[in-house]
Amino acid sequence: MSQKLLDVENLTMKFGGLVAIDNLSFSADKDKITSIIGPNGAGKTTVFNCLTGFYKATAGSMFLNKENERLNLRKFSDFKVAQKAGVARTFQNIRLFPQMSVLENLMVAQHNKLMDASGFTILGLFNSPSFVKKEREAVEISKYWLDIIGLTHRADDDAGDLPYGDQRKLEIVRAMCINPHLLCLDEPAAGLNAKESAELNKLLLFIKNEKKTGILLIEHDMSVVMEISDHVVVLNYGKKIFQGSAKETKNSPEVIEAYLGTEE
Amino acid sequence: MEKKFFQTSIKDSLFTGLIALALFGPIVGLRTVAKNEVLEVHPKWLIVLIIVIVCAVGRFLTNLYVYNRDQKTGIQSSIGKSISNFLDTKGYQIALTAIIFSVIFPFLPFTDRYLMDIAIMMLTYIMLGWGLNIVIGLAGLLDLGYVAFYAVGAYSYALFAIHFGWSFWICLPIAGIFAAMFGVLLGFPVLRLRGDYLAIVTLAFGEMIRILLLNWYQLTKGPDGLTGIPRPSFFGLPFKSFPDEGEQTFHTFFGVEYDPMQRIIFLYYLILVLALITNLFTIKIRRLPIGRAWEALREDEIACKSLGVNPRNTKLTAFAIGAMFGGFAGSFFATRQAFISPESFTFIESAIIVAIVVLGGMGSQTGVVLATVFLIGLIEVFRDFESYRMIAFGGAMVLIMIFRPRGILATRKPTITLEKSSSK
Repeated sequence: MSQKLLDVENLTMKFGGLVAIDNLSFSADKDKITSIIGPNGAGKTTVFNCLTGFYKATAGSMFLNKENERLNLRKFSDFKVAQKAGVARTFQNIRLFPQMSVLENLMVAQHNKLMDASGFTILGLFNSPSFVKKEREAVEISKYWLDIIGLTHRADDDAGDLPYGDQRKLEIVRAMCINPHLLCLDEPAAGLNAKESAELNKLLLFIKNEKKTGILLIEHDMSVVMEISDHVVVLNYGKKIFQGSAKETKNSPEVIEAYLGTEE
Repeated sequence: MEKKFFQTSIKDSLFTGLIALALFGPIVGLRTVAKNEVLEVHPKWLIVLIIVIVCAVGRFLTNLYVYNRDQKTGIQSSIGKSISNFLDTKGYQIALTAIIFSVIFPFLPFTDRYLMDIAIMMLTYIMLGWGLNIVIGLAGLLDLGYVAFYAVGAYSYALFAIHFGWSFWICLPIAGIFAAMFGVLLGFPVLRLRGDYLAIVTLAFGEMIRILLLNWYQLTKGPDGLTGIPRPSFFGLPFKSFPDEGEQTFHTFFGVEYDPMQRIIFLYYLILVLALITNLFTIKIRRLPIGRAWEALREDEIACKSLGVNPRNTKLTAFAIGAMFGGFAGSFFATRQAFISPESFTFIESAIIVAIVVLGGMGSQTGVVLATVFLIGLIEVFRDFESYRMIAFGGAMVLIMIFRPRGILATRKPTITLEKSSSK
């Protein structure tokens, strides 16, 4: 048995007659960044939606290997993938809680932990010391992440009022606040300028190296993909057409063909 | 520029006059009178003419003085802005003043029976508004059948009190639990619904409960209603003018003259305390993880799922807790009226409570109070004008929506702030 963090085996997703993902197998390592690339409509986001429980895969299996257990993600429905398996994700179009403050966004991410500490609200109503302590810890964790992305001074502002680039970063650290094993990022660099993309790269490398979290990345921005990916999986029409290192991918004739078409 | 503006204003007001003529001509102008079993038309063109002139001139004047961009110092900008500013910054002071005022209210010199009754009614609506604020304002679930829980609370209180003779303080929590159970009952089928669809189903639920109460004659006495619901006692001391032999009543125990106002004042403080408990509970629970999850669910359900927040449990608790406070308010209503029938729980009640929450500013506790005072107060002031008071009610809503489109108090304060929690 391989010791990869994520093993996707023969994953298939059909919408009626449309085969969005066709018998896809790939794996992702712990403390590695695995990029999934491919032309528009290749089925990248569908892979994410299957992994994170938003879709029920038609066939195949997705195993998440933790220290001493092997979980099949197909058995978890939507929110349980995050709660029980520790798979976090971000979205192509940012999904923050825009009218809640930046700090509150990060506190919601720590909901399950705090909910237990608040004794399903009853202990919390009476300000039990154990709950107050846990809550303060959660604030400290939030503050730690805000310091990393440099947004501590805006902690009490509405998340919706942040500039676009900061919202992207906030969504990523919000996902990190659930303390995931695997972080799935859906086009985190979309709409960022060069400086912001560079900051994003730094943040992702930090998460990979310091937090030992596996990262699965869908991205169109090749500067991000080439610079930080350890491993690249290329999809086209729901099928895997290539996998390998970033450098190999760049020179692969199949990949060039998928993106640019063949010369006739 | 000035001349052109003048011309468009004249045109606009002539057009307004035309619309007024089209509307009021047939409605007011052509009055039909039944005479000798024949329907005759009695035209009243003078009145129509007056109405049309008033509309046209009124439109001309508002064009000139209110909507004129060159005169931005008009009514809307100066008075409106200062009121808006006052409401936005002084929410806390308004709340404190209101609480102090409501505590001393029964002993103010001008307070009489009539005012007390209105105050009790307002407080009931405030409590219902605060309860519904959990469901609509925090969790963002548009519930148009809230009156169902009010009814469940009232009927369960009445039935337990009549058949088992239990006291108010025992029946109150039971009524709350019953209402909460009905909240969960409603919650389950609507878990996947949002927005308009949810509103329709909850509306139907409210009607179902009312029709059930109307038709389950053996239990609820149907349209006859339940009579003889026990009045609340002052911790075991009843309010009675002529006590039975050897019975302690409120006035004999405290050695004061009997006065029917004593019971009213007691009821007033009872609903005040119940309402304040609802308020404190909501303020507190908003800062707990569950409250934050409610608000997150209102903002984005998909993001909540991606963070491992269980949307089912979160929604059900919102429904249950909101319903529980509705049930408490219902038992108070039953004990105050001593008579309840399905007529008291019609859709218009739900609509008024939703209006209070929305106009007050979704999620704002003080906003609910201001909206209640404004709307219910206005209905009361116009009571002598009978059916015109609904026009006043509608007018009040329109005014609020014009001047405060996001509700009277729309500012939201974060439930936790970095400065406060780190300076602790």
